[in-house]
Amino acid sequence: MSGATLAPGIAALWLFGTFFALLVLRVPVAFSLGLACLPVLFIEPRLSPMVVFNTTFKAYNSFILLAVPFFLLTANLMNVGGITDRLVRLSRAMVGNFPGALAQINVLLSVFFAGISGSSTADAASQGKIFIEAQVKEGYDLSFSIAITAVSAVLAVIIPPSILMIVWGGVLSVSIGALYLAGVIPGLLIALAQMATVHVYAKIRKYPTYPAATFKEFVMDGLVSIPALFTPFIVVGGILLGWFTATESAAAAVLYAAVLSIFFYREMDRHHLWTAFLETGKLSAVALFCVGTASVFGWLLAYYQIPRALLENVTAWHLGLIGVGFFIAFVFLVVGCFLDAIPAIIIVGTTLQPLAASVNMHPVSFAIIGIVSLAFGLVTPPYGLCLMISCAIAKVRLRYALKDTMIMLVPMLLVLAMLIIWPEIPLLLPGWVRPEFLK
Amino acid sequence: MKTFIAGYYRLLDWLLAASVGILVVPVTLQIIARFTQWIPHWIWTEEMARFLFIWMVMLGAMVGIRDASHFEVDVWPELKPRANALLRIVSNVFVLVFALVFIWYGVKFVQFGWEQTSELAEMPMTWIFVSWPLAGLTWVLFLGEWFIKDLRLVFADRVSPLTNIGKPRL
Repeated sequence: MSGATLAPGIAALWLFGTFFALLVLRVPVAFSLGLACLPVLFIEPRLSPMVVFNTTFKAYNSFILLAVPFFLLTANLMNVGGITDRLVRLSRAMVGNFPGALAQINVLLSVFFAGISGSSTADAASQGKIFIEAQVKEGYDLSFSIAITAVSAVLAVIIPPSILMIVWGGVLSVSIGALYLAGVIPGLLIALAQMATVHVYAKIRKYPTYPAATFKEFVMDGLVSIPALFTPFIVVGGILLGWFTATESAAAAVLYAAVLSIFFYREMDRHHLWTAFLETGKLSAVALFCVGTASVFGWLLAYYQIPRALLENVTAWHLGLIGVGFFIAFVFLVVGCFLDAIPAIIIVGTTLQPLAASVNMHPVSFAIIGIVSLAFGLVTPPYGLCLMISCAIAKVRLRYALKDTMIMLVPMLLVLAMLIIWPEIPLLLPGWVRPEFLK
Repeated sequence: MKTFIAGYYRLLDWLLAASVGILVVPVTLQIIARFTQWIPHWIWTEEMARFLFIWMVMLGAMVGIRDASHFEVDVWPELKPRANALLRIVSNVFVLVFALVFIWYGVKFVQFGWEQTSELAEMPMTWIFVSWPLAGLTWVLFLGEWFIKDLRLVFADRVSPLTNIGKPRL
């Protein structure tokens, strides 16, 4: 805006300077973002701290974000209602005879879990409780156990349904149905990469294995899990068929998980239900509060047209489609180290959109590159929520599991590079099921 | 005061859990209304869901301060309990500043809300906006509790450690 008193460079310095200074002082991220806006709001005569209120209100007054508590609630209901237990048994029947069986089960369960819930933090929290202690008891290294739990949890936001895809679709106006379909193949590729990593670890460190399941066990565990495995088809199918909006599909997942837990698996009582509500409220509200203050921060960046100033240089580099893909992934990976994924989409996704459009990158390919990169940010320090949660469950500090996490990230980054070099990969499935989504 | 804060915290917890539970209702009604004739297609379900959601976020942000569950970035090496408490006092001072901004400007925000009504239910927006200054006040309360706890930890060493020798704890 031409009337701004502060030059974009000075404003950026104030915003980012205050933000990082506060982060170092261990002020919570949500508050650091909000506080970083205050100096600029006081200095700029046209603005006042009222911007904080209007912008946070607008951010929370969003039907789309309702999906966040719903997906978390689905996950919590699965855990207390016995759905997770059934899926563990099925995973064991499927990969129990592989080397490093328990870790393979850990990854495979994340794939199933990802198809039901769209929240990685929920995945890390629930599987951390199930696997970390159990793996250590069977002779796996603690840091390996923490790392594999954390990195497999990122699948939850890549395999549909996904909170990040709903937010991305809402903020950048991309079809959420298309994003859901586009996430399937990349998600499965990343899961395969993780299972390969576990295999190599297990061979080198001689991790234990289970006797192979009999065919009967396999069929029994499979049959019992069918109702639970049906969830992704309700959620994703419901959107594709136009039955639900994205938010409604998340509510449908909650209801389905509740019905299964109460009437089919019959393991949930009133106390469990209440705990699930409370835990959902606590975790989702803390994450969402940050979305509000991040929106203020993003609003100020846009007010001073800082993103445009930053991107002017980049467009001058003439990177081409693949170069821009790598640049976008790099930016999201770096931002993901310091910010939660939802605020990052709000601040950075909108900033990079013109850049992606300038090289004719398909909006769905752009979204998948962004979401996968941000998902990796969930395990990169200093602010990697899934890694933080896994470490908190194991009662160690984040850097304890860092080395193994970084090793496991390498094959995952190779998959990301594949998605950038061949941007058609994510488009295969939506192009096949619903070609009109890609227009 | 201690029992008051604990009771208030339990109340907020209860409201938070209830808001999550109720949140499912309007969205479900919306789906049912689309496919059946059992209930009319109310238009306020969407607005009600959004407003309840705002309250849920603000309630969770309030209790998050007492739980110390707001996510933070930790770049420090392992700190001794006292240094840790000192650092928490410093960071909480900044949170306090934000809380005071929420109270001071929040009052203006609430007054502003009287002149606005919601689009669908025509409810004064004050009932939503009031959660901002309330969050500020609640933070001040919970921060006070943390300050006292941390100050005790910081000054605990001023009492010579010798006095503790030989005396059983508790």
